[in-house]
Amino acid sequence: MIRKIISGNEAVATAVKLARVGLTGIYPITPQTSIIEKLAEMKAQGEIQTEIVRVESEHSAMAATYGAALAGIRAFTATASQGLLYMHEMVWWVAGSRVPVVMVVGTRAVGAPWNIWNEHTDFTSERDSGWIMAFASNPQEALDLTIQAFRISEDERVFLPVMVGMDGFILSHTKTNVLIPDQEQIDDYLPPRRQPYVIDPEDPVEIGNMFPPEGYMKLRESIHLALKNSEDIIRQHGREYNKKVSPMIDYSTLNSSYRLEDADYAVVLMGAWAGDAMEAIDVLREKGIKIGMLRVRYLRPWSEKEIRENLEGKKGVLVLDRSTSFGRGGPLYIEVKSTIRDTEVKDIVTGLGGVTVGKSDMIYLFSKFVEGIKEDVTWYYPKEVGKLDVRTPRDIE
Amino acid sequence: MTLGLREILNKHNSLISGTAACPGCPENMAMRMLGMGLGKDTVVVVVAGCSSIIQGNAPYNSYNLPVVNIAFAAGPAAASGLARAYKQKGKDVNVVVWAGDGGTADIGFASLSGAAERNEDIIYVCVDNEAYMNSGGQRSGSTPLGAITSTTPEGKKENKKNLPFLMVSHNVPYVATASVGYPHDYIQKLKRAKEIDGFRYIHVLTPDPYGWLFDPSRTAEIAKLAVQTCYWPLFEYYNGKITVSQECLHCLDKRTRRPIKDFLSVQGRFKRVKEDDIAKLEKYIDDMWEKIKELM
Ligand code: SF4
Repeated sequence: MIRKIISGNEAVATAVKLARVGLTGIYPITPQTSIIEKLAEMKAQGEIQTEIVRVESEHSAMAATYGAALAGIRAFTATASQGLLYMHEMVWWVAGSRVPVVMVVGTRAVGAPWNIWNEHTDFTSERDSGWIMAFASNPQEALDLTIQAFRISEDERVFLPVMVGMDGFILSHTKTNVLIPDQEQIDDYLPPRRQPYVIDPEDPVEIGNMFPPEGYMKLRESIHLALKNSEDIIRQHGREYNKKVSPMIDYSTLNSSYRLEDADYAVVLMGAWAGDAMEAIDVLREKGIKIGMLRVRYLRPWSEKEIRENLEGKKGVLVLDRSTSFGRGGPLYIEVKSTIRDTEVKDIVTGLGGVTVGKSDMIYLFSKFVEGIKEDVTWYYPKEVGKLDVRTPRDIE
Repeated sequence: MTLGLREILNKHNSLISGTAACPGCPENMAMRMLGMGLGKDTVVVVVAGCSSIIQGNAPYNSYNLPVVNIAFAAGPAAASGLARAYKQKGKDVNVVVWAGDGGTADIGFASLSGAAERNEDIIYVCVDNEAYMNSGGQRSGSTPLGAITSTTPEGKKENKKNLPFLMVSHNVPYVATASVGYPHDYIQKLKRAKEIDGFRYIHVLTPDPYGWLFDPSRTAEIAKLAVQTCYWPLFEYYNGKITVSQECLHCLDKRTRRPIKDFLSVQGRFKRVKEDDIAKLEKYIDDMWEKIKELM
């Protein structure tokens, strides 16, 4: 194992190399682009064997990745924002085919209007597609989760595609210390690819043809069950990763917690801003406010068990959502609220389109929450943003 | 190379009995001939269209080849992934994209063009029935001028998009046109395509009794008429040159062409065609043959 200062995107490219991926479908989109550039560079220098298909769109990137996976080789692609939306059709097609594939999403706002900065809406809007969905909170996790994603995806009890989210720019472009496993460690952890069926003239099978209603519904249920059951399998592969590769980050659970055990209040969030939240929690703890954090690492499967164990019995739960389901609240909030009973759950939607929400904002929000906020869902703007004069159709009227 | 009937019939049967095609279906015919031309080391990526339905409902399956069914715009890209994976595994497989004119001329054109530009090692077969027949016969970019479809009840106002020429412009190693009315010609082209590396494109005219409005017993006859009236050329493009099949050598000279009316009058979809539309169609045909002659 070596330590290197690299960006989140480079960490992902390194994971792809270590996983001995056979084919990568590539198409550039900000902020994911440097993953594929790095892969192309490694290929040009002969450091990796992976076949690179430079396709003409994200829709084709996912299709080419799917084709390679069907033929029996390990396949990877990465995307973001409009790109993920453009491949949406194929995202469903891959899950519906129950074929192992791994994708990284460098999360970013979705237009209109144009905005290249970070939020989670692109990622969360795929939550019904049948993919397992992990979310990293630092470049190290981006690397670890990408490698684990192959292991999980190719587990015969799962056979579902896995996507790994990573905050655009905040992780994708920020360089930090990353522990890079040795190839032997990964070879030991990640066995050769397994998949449910291979498309091959020697053993002709047909995939994706017209299905009668009852059969179709049964397949849908099989995806549902595989996703639900993947919970324990993810923990199992996480523990194995800790044992065989690195014990640094605990992967034995689907979610990660911070000072939660003795806490009266809990904050729930996903992604890179967990770092700011932890600092804010430390400050509030010093003031005598007993607050802790639960960071969602897997949006799918959603571990009801872990969420209940960690959150039920608290005086209140505050969810921080970096995306929204319009007219309702943040997707994380909806999930948490439908999981725990007898506990008050409030939602803050903030940080959309790259709005910076830092430690001081979190100290403010968390204390407000402990004091008792009335609204179930609040849209929060840090001071500078609140001042910006933006006219919406309603103002123009 | 000329094949005898016996030789053709001995080839791999890519279609087993009990398909869900309409009677007289030209795509069914074209699929059967695909196996005759390419043999059994073939994987077919079927793009949404009639051919997705013709194979039948799962778990039944009337295509005697491995099939990947896929959404409209994804065929050439998925085939690229498959072909590269087989190469990596050291396997010799003909990867075929099988798409209708909608999937080719319209919604799937970007991925077709992309795969052609990358010179992927795949064979793309377009089965052209000149409308979106699987959804009930709406116009496509490949519908000819004057034809009635369910979205052009007054007859289409624009000419057919000329896909074979577009593919020739992509500078790919092999482009061919065929018609289900001439199986020998089509199968020979498949065999030739099989021997060539890189991107190969074959465009097959598949007259559809239900969209073109003729009796299902006449599919082969209409497919022949399209060629005889020079509406549909039969050619091969490789090594930078076009070679015209003997079935349409007479089209090279305008004076020996059979009148287009002979082709139009046997189909219900042209029943509202006016004299000036016929003149436009004739001009389309003249221009097409001029271009072909330039490339010969
Ligand atoms: S509509 Fe035409 S192409 Fe489609 S199945 Fe029927 S005959 Fe064949």
